[in-house]
Amino acid sequence: MRNGSALRGGRLWPVHLVLAIGAAAMVMPFFWQVLTSLKTFTEATRTPPVWIPSFEWGNFAKVLDETPFLQQLGNTVVMTTGRTLAQLLFCSLAAYAFARLRFPGRDVIFVALLSVLMVPGQLFLIPQYQIIQSLGWLNTLPGLIAPGMFSAFGTFMMRQFFMTLPAEVEEAARLDGANPLRIFWSVMLPLARPGLLALGVLTVLWSWNDLMWPLIVNTDPESMPLSAGLSALQGEHMTDYPVLMAGSLMASAPIIVLFIIMQKQLIQGIAFTGSK
Amino acid sequence: MTGKIRALVVAGALVAGLAGCSSSDGDGSGGKVTLTYAYWDNENQGQAMTKIAQEFTKSHPNIEVKLQFTPNKEYWTKLQTAAAGGTAPDVFWMNGPRIGLYASQGALLPLSDKIAADKMDLGKYPKSLVDLYTLDGKQYGIPKDFDTIGLWYNKALFDAAKVKYPDASWTWDDVRAAAKKLTDPAKGVHGIGAMPWSQELYYNTIFQAGGYVISDDKKKSGYDDPATIEGLKFWKDFLDQKLSPTVQQMTDNDPIEMFKSGKLAMWYDGSYDASQYFKTEGLKAGVAPLPAGPKGKATVIHGLANVVYAKTKHPKEAWEFVKFLGSEQANRIQAESGAVIPAYEGLQESWVKSMPGLDLQAFIDQLPDARPYPVSKNTAAWARLETDAITKAFTDGQDVEATAKQLATAMNAALSQEK
Repeated sequence: MRNGSALRGGRLWPVHLVLAIGAAAMVMPFFWQVLTSLKTFTEATRTPPVWIPSFEWGNFAKVLDETPFLQQLGNTVVMTTGRTLAQLLFCSLAAYAFARLRFPGRDVIFVALLSVLMVPGQLFLIPQYQIIQSLGWLNTLPGLIAPGMFSAFGTFMMRQFFMTLPAEVEEAARLDGANPLRIFWSVMLPLARPGLLALGVLTVLWSWNDLMWPLIVNTDPESMPLSAGLSALQGEHMTDYPVLMAGSLMASAPIIVLFIIMQKQLIQGIAFTGSK
Repeated sequence: MTGKIRALVVAGALVAGLAGCSSSDGDGSGGKVTLTYAYWDNENQGQAMTKIAQEFTKSHPNIEVKLQFTPNKEYWTKLQTAAAGGTAPDVFWMNGPRIGLYASQGALLPLSDKIAADKMDLGKYPKSLVDLYTLDGKQYGIPKDFDTIGLWYNKALFDAAKVKYPDASWTWDDVRAAAKKLTDPAKGVHGIGAMPWSQELYYNTIFQAGGYVISDDKKKSGYDDPATIEGLKFWKDFLDQKLSPTVQQMTDNDPIEMFKSGKLAMWYDGSYDASQYFKTEGLKAGVAPLPAGPKGKATVIHGLANVVYAKTKHPKEAWEFVKFLGSEQANRIQAESGAVIPAYEGLQESWVKSMPGLDLQAFIDQLPDARPYPVSKNTAAWARLETDAITKAFTDGQDVEATAKQLATAMNAALSQEK
């Protein structure tokens, strides 16, 4: 506390200066995106850059005309919710087993699971595609959701979290006659809230932005999420940047609103994963 | 470029997939057939593709065409994944660097018999394009469009420096002299942009110098040939004399944008970028045929083709559609969109007229000097080496000759892996 009050005087300004520069650097791309989304094509590509746009609100209307935006927004929401809820459940169940239950081969299986983390995601594309294809789920929402319902990373993260929880609480519950599932559900899971929150945040962000898988597995614009759908606005040799920026602004708006509402929990969550 | 690497990575998986998988059900319920047609440029060509598909259904009421768009970057990954699963689209766009791989892996339906049976006249398309899609004597694709390279120039900068506009009579020496006069360091203007891009820049000058990239039998690299090296040095000289921005500067600022904003007076670029130069306000651009080198005139020609998937459930209908895509009617729709030069003979005129004031005729006039885009069965395997080596040669102030010879050795090794 003493340090804090001493710093509060004049000596704090260099810190603020550095932070302000950092903040400006972070905000700048978003600010530029907003500006670009309101420019004409010529303004957007001119060098030196034009700062004041001519407020082409029509760019936003064009996105709605050229892509089934609302339908794709719905797909994104369903995909993100489905993947996130499933990961919270499955990853924490598996993680609890790895952290606290004793069974033969546990550590071997865990190492095998970790090895999945080391494999580049592209290698899973073909087998996953074939599984989804045999299930008849190409071009459907389940096809989008299923491969994202579980992750080795989430399991690893939750396991590390469960390991830090005190064993005494669990023992007390066991003495009271609770079975492992009951202990997991009524004792451990509530204690693991910060970890679940962190995993949830990361999964939402990853899922909202996921591009490659949706593009591979779904081909109809109506069944694509926003990330894949917006790519239709990109040309091979020429792209209408203002319209693309308008589209991506609309696509990221829900996440930005979510961030503003849940700022505190989000930062806690990310700080938690960073510290582990 | 990154797509090529990815193609290489997934190539192995493709082979495995083709061998092991089969498609399950056939919906041969009589009557209506739905074909899928995959392409990668929606922004500029989507409307033309939609219109072509609609026109086709009008004349073939029992066949419906479903368009399947994937952006260029992810297109090849998606195609290879789907091919491994046995469910690639029935008809799709193909390009020169990848035709060898796809055709030799058996992913494409050979069309020669159907062409002969229907007496389709391939003479209607530029010969070098037809050849590009021929492998071991079999025709795998019907040309869709083509592009050549031209010398773009900024009229305002030429006027200010009192330099005569380029024309068909220009040679390398004219480019060198003009670049000197047009370079104005005080204004940040460079005479020309010497970017290490193959199709747009150094392939053309290699051919103009009498060199080659890959031998006709696809067994030997041309990068240790003195003429090839001369074609590379043409660009290196501009960099050394500071008549071009450095490669680093052009990596930070796309040279296309530099040309548009009047920082480059001359710029070698393809017909496919015409529409963006046309749409840039405040840019008065012109285009001339590429200047002749020591061994005369040359421009790289490349073009896409429509191909049929080997495992399509509807080979007959897919062929009908590809035939329609190659027809005069479909090519006319493409021409009017202005996005690309249609491959069909005699329709280039409407493309030229779609952007008045740009003298686009220069691209068409060069057809007699056009040289096919260099490819082999596995182009991706050496294209990556090539990009790295030439970028290094242009960047580090290294010796072009030594780097080119190293590249030749590495490329020969890659070529010897091909069957």
